[in-house]
Amino acid sequence: MSDELTFMMGEFEAVFPTDRKYASNHMWGQQRGDHWRFGFTAYAVRLLQDVYFLEWDVEAGRELRDRQQMGAIESKKAESDLFSPLHGTVLKFNGVLMDDPSHINVDKYTDGWLFDMTGDGSGLMAADDYIVHLNSVWEITQKTIKGQLNQ
Amino acid sequence: MTIHAHVVISYGQSNNPTKRQLESVLAERLAKLDGVTTLVVPNLYDLAPTSSTIQRLKTLPGDLIVLGWLYDRATHWILDRNGVLGKFGITELPIDEDDEEELDSSLDGDNEASADDMARVIDERPALDRTIYSLDLRKTPDVEVFVDEVERIVSIAAQSRPQPLLDWLQGEGTAEQMSRYLGEPETTDDATGRRWYPVIDFSRCTNCMECIDFCLFGVYGVNGADTILVEQADNCRKGCPACSRVCPENAIIFPQHKTPAIAGSPANAGGLKIDLSQLFGGSNAVTEAANERDEQLIMAGRDAVGMAVGIPKRQSGGRATDRDELDNLVDELDSLDL
Repeated sequence: MSDELTFMMGEFEAVFPTDRKYASNHMWGQQRGDHWRFGFTAYAVRLLQDVYFLEWDVEAGRELRDRQQMGAIESKKAESDLFSPLHGTVLKFNGVLMDDPSHINVDKYTDGWLFDMTGDGSGLMAADDYIVHLNSVWEITQKTIKGQLNQ
Repeated sequence: MTIHAHVVISYGQSNNPTKRQLESVLAERLAKLDGVTTLVVPNLYDLAPTSSTIQRLKTLPGDLIVLGWLYDRATHWILDRNGVLGKFGITELPIDEDDEEELDSSLDGDNEASADDMARVIDERPALDRTIYSLDLRKTPDVEVFVDEVERIVSIAAQSRPQPLLDWLQGEGTAEQMSRYLGEPETTDDATGRRWYPVIDFSRCTNCMECIDFCLFGVYGVNGADTILVEQADNCRKGCPACSRVCPENAIIFPQHKTPAIAGSPANAGGLKIDLSQLFGGSNAVTEAANERDEQLIMAGRDAVGMAVGIPKRQSGGRATDRDELDNLVDELDSLDL
């Protein structure tokens, strides 16, 4: 893999390759011809930990608004709805994950990709901008998690 | 032979052959067990309260062991809504290693109300003298696991209720009658179509009325004692789980929803899982619920109302108690562009 940047989540070193772009909802996006391939960043995977349930609410071919809900994920410790990182059309979901979503944990930047979609990726961030974004949200993320844990 | 408990097997909604196979093998096996009768019924969730199956279930005395393709909580509260009442039986199906921590925590809470001092609707009810055990058939394809668990429950039932359950036969029952009921599974038959409606977990519900204020389709009502109930189940909009998102106690279950937390998963009953949706780009649950409701209003040819109607009071700062640190954090989160 090419160069990468790191962000410390406490003791955990989250790594972000610079060969791709990043969305603020913690997905990476890599341009492949006329479309983008998206997957979870190391930051998202660290928050989720062991993924064991992934489901998409929309079918390939469907046009989505930016931030439209498109699926749900559940891990050992957490759950989340999933939202489109762009306005565009989903072309394909990664079938490998349907059988074994744990690839998200193992190969997040390669075989654990989530879906391909068309759309304007000009709003996506470069890795260094994403690190700046993480700096701004890391504290609130920690507080949110602790807040929920203590409920 | 003495009957200690009644086994009920509820069909899945689909005709999935794998599911049908497990259902029929289980029915044959369980019917042969000592101390139980076995009744095979259509999908419990789809049955109308007036159906012959529900009427039949209401006549079964003693402990029930209900096997179906739903989370235990969902099965329990579907029966409850139909007047088949009982204490929530704790089952011991082996679970994935990954779930062990959740199991410990859910046992602590007895799978009932959490350990705070909130008054739950169930507290107002008279104590029930029988237990309903719900088993989720999705847990394993292994028939023996379910047979073992049913045997375990029957032995508990036998200890707690030594006298035989014969009244359901309306009399002593001749040998011929007994043999008709014992050894073979019995099947009830009601035509069912797929339904979609909320089921209330009264061990969590505090009767706060947020759901009745929020739903604009007239699903909810109150009974003579002003307790919330799902009055017009079939007014509910197929696929819409919005009211479960506004429920502050996670007491509203949509058994067929794909998200485990909404379908009644035990791990989420105690709020044990962290919800990362806001961090992953979602709006908060109430905004999402309002959007889902608008979608349904528009589909029904009505006007969208957005956040203008029936939004939980806790969202508008009307909460009586002081705002705590978490409230502030959540507000902070809302204002961030995540």
